[in-house]
Amino acid sequence: MANNNEGDSGEDPNRGMTGGTPTAGDAEPIQAHKPGWRSRMVPYFLIAPALIYLAMFFAYPMFQGLMLAIFDDDAALVLVDEPSLDGDEIERLTQGTRLNILGRQGNLLTDQSDATDLLTEQWFLVSGEAADGSEVSGWTFEARVRVRDEAADGTPVGGTIRPRLGAGADEATPLLAEPNETSDTVAELEQRAPVSIDDIAILEVWFQVQAAEDPSTASGWAPSRFVEVFDDEESGRVDEGSVGEFTTGFISKMFNDSFFSDAWQTTLLLMVLILPLQFVLAMLMALVIDARLKLGSGFLYVFTLPMGMSDLAVGILFFSIFTGNGLLNSILEAFGILDGPKTFLSADTIPWIIFAIVLAELWRATSIVMVIIVSGLQAIPRETLEAAELFGAGYWQRVRHIMLPLLLPSIQVALILRTILAFQVFAVVIALGGGDIVTVLANETFRQYFEFRNNNVASAYALFILLLSMASAFFYLRAVRAQTEVAKT
Amino acid sequence: MSEIRIESVNKSFGDKLAVNDANLTIHEQEFLVLVGPSGCGKTTLLRAIAGLGMADSGRITIGGRDVTYLPPRQRNISMVFQSYAIFPHMTVRDNIGFGLKMNGVDTTEISRRVNDAAELLHIEELLDRRPAAMSGGQRQRVAVARALAMQAEVLLMDEPLSNLDALLRLEMRAELKKLLAEVNATTVYVTHDQIEALSMGDRVAVMKDGVIQQVADPTTVYDRPANKFVGSFIGNPPMNFVDGALERSPGGGPVTVKVGEVSLSPDPSLDSALRTIDGDRVIVGIRAENMEALPDANDGAFAVDVSVVEPLGSQNLLTMDVAGHRMKISTHPSFPVEAGQRLWIRFPGDKIRWVDPNTEAMMYG
Repeated sequence: MANNNEGDSGEDPNRGMTGGTPTAGDAEPIQAHKPGWRSRMVPYFLIAPALIYLAMFFAYPMFQGLMLAIFDDDAALVLVDEPSLDGDEIERLTQGTRLNILGRQGNLLTDQSDATDLLTEQWFLVSGEAADGSEVSGWTFEARVRVRDEAADGTPVGGTIRPRLGAGADEATPLLAEPNETSDTVAELEQRAPVSIDDIAILEVWFQVQAAEDPSTASGWAPSRFVEVFDDEESGRVDEGSVGEFTTGFISKMFNDSFFSDAWQTTLLLMVLILPLQFVLAMLMALVIDARLKLGSGFLYVFTLPMGMSDLAVGILFFSIFTGNGLLNSILEAFGILDGPKTFLSADTIPWIIFAIVLAELWRATSIVMVIIVSGLQAIPRETLEAAELFGAGYWQRVRHIMLPLLLPSIQVALILRTILAFQVFAVVIALGGGDIVTVLANETFRQYFEFRNNNVASAYALFILLLSMASAFFYLRAVRAQTEVAKT
Repeated sequence: MSEIRIESVNKSFGDKLAVNDANLTIHEQEFLVLVGPSGCGKTTLLRAIAGLGMADSGRITIGGRDVTYLPPRQRNISMVFQSYAIFPHMTVRDNIGFGLKMNGVDTTEISRRVNDAAELLHIEELLDRRPAAMSGGQRQRVAVARALAMQAEVLLMDEPLSNLDALLRLEMRAELKKLLAEVNATTVYVTHDQIEALSMGDRVAVMKDGVIQQVADPTTVYDRPANKFVGSFIGNPPMNFVDGALERSPGGGPVTVKVGEVSLSPDPSLDSALRTIDGDRVIVGIRAENMEALPDANDGAFAVDVSVVEPLGSQNLLTMDVAGHRMKISTHPSFPVEAGQRLWIRFPGDKIRWVDPNTEAMMYG
């Protein structure tokens, strides 16, 4: 082994030397080393976990969530021509349709996963001695057997055939080949004949139904889990559909929701009030920091402190300022401006609530804009500003003619970020407006989901917010890009 | 009316004294070049004149007006920046007209002066373009045009050519010199390139470690440097220096200096100065082109072995050791020489510069 290795290593330099001009003795001409497919795939291998993560935890749930807004899982009930999963579709009835129940029949229960509202019946496979003394076996409806023996776990194992009551009743009980009323009779048992129960089948009841309001439609079979039966046992309604359909119903339900226009208008109003103020403030704060005063870093810390607070905490903080015996009332009373505490946050003082929300949002979220603008300011070359100063521009002229135009890309980023966040404003509004008096889109999403348990309309709200955010981002990108492109060409 | 006087100006950054007691008068319409190695304080001094970095102490006047602590825009100056500092979001036209607009000049006058400036720098066709897509040379022209359009009495230039490639720099140097001769502004031009300094300036101020070493016209700075630093900084190759031993004859006869085996006789007018040097050492300085190379042995010449020959076309640059010091000497290309050859080198008496080794100042009679 050692010899072999030595021989190899001794050969290699020789091959390297003659590599340029392969001779007849050189079986294998030396080639420049090209990266194999393995090394070319490395970046893809590296990014694969991120893609999988993205698909699993972002794209898929988001798709599912948004589908709720436009896809009704149980929009329609399919009626089939026989009480079986194999039956052919003959009619579709929408959810809530009144039904006449024409018949019922058990059918093997195939899928028990979400079987909560279904009606079931049990059939027993029984064996016993027939009238002629022979041993017979067959299926019979649970009600035909009086259970007398049970196993330790409660499973019925034996009993007797019940007598039939009523005049003219056939006294024998038929045993069927299969646990199905339509199957063939294989034997009969006398009443009170002792039987052993060999097997139990749980059947789901299927109803033969027809739309009550429109008797011209065909009747068909449907499993009981989709049908709500009224007390008279002869009528009912489609409780839930068996197949999904795309629908605009949830979206129009959202638009027609009594809180929608309030929520939408308040969200817009808050945005219109907050964004301009926020950008002016952020610009001023950024200029203060960029001026590199003695306490410059101190300003930065003070300005960015609110970024570290949860928005709900900020809402509660401002609530405590505006509340009955809060800071504002205390100050106003101390200065004798008010005689007693004024109620700022109530259904009668909505402007005050809006004011408080604007204040809290300004306090909370201005610093993120400022940070973006500060970074943009610091990217402007010092000499450019010095040139402007030297050529006669005063401070505000420098801001107007040099800084602002060069800050456009930063402002664009901040605008997109802040507008999207403004569509999502929630916790501060909840804390200060309680969620009823002043409501916003995100609050309605929350309320539809948790209070009204209406996932679909909640999802429609979420979709609406998403579309608004995307549209505004698109708008800013187009609007500001148009200007920066002019600035570059 | 635009003489710049700099009186006892100091400026420090932290502990570092960037400009140390600078005194300088720049005459009206003069072209003065501030030159020195990087970190010597030349840009700091220029910025003090511009008002972009105020002096800590001292006084700066422009045309008799004390501007030491005035903001830049009240100083009636204009400037070309090293990075050009063109405004990237404006057209060339707006860039050139920016200063005029800020100063409230009316629009017809602005457009006239913008066109004039653009014409001077041959960038008329660029006027409506934006700087993003322009070459370094074009931006440089825009920056100069912007400065000229102001028609200020004082024009400051902070290494305006240093970002250009060598060929373009050579071209721009001559063009700028011609241009600035026409505009009649008092110009302060900062550079680290001694050739630029010599070729462009009416006068050259050489700085080192925040101290102005010498202010004089280019010929003087080159020929009669004030000290060893100026001699070694100005000129390419730098001035050669070699140690010599002072031999003061006790009888009051002329002082001689012995370098290796060779005895040099300084001009008698330097006698008293040489006698007062503390110690027995004097530094002998001589420029490469001022030495005589002889193919044969000669009295008063150093026998040297040439170690490197660099033919530069117009001259050959020879490297050799003289009395233990590496020296460079330039010879005419027709002088036959090759590496390893023995030569004899003679120092002509009037070309030798004598340096006091204690102060490093050069002594002139």
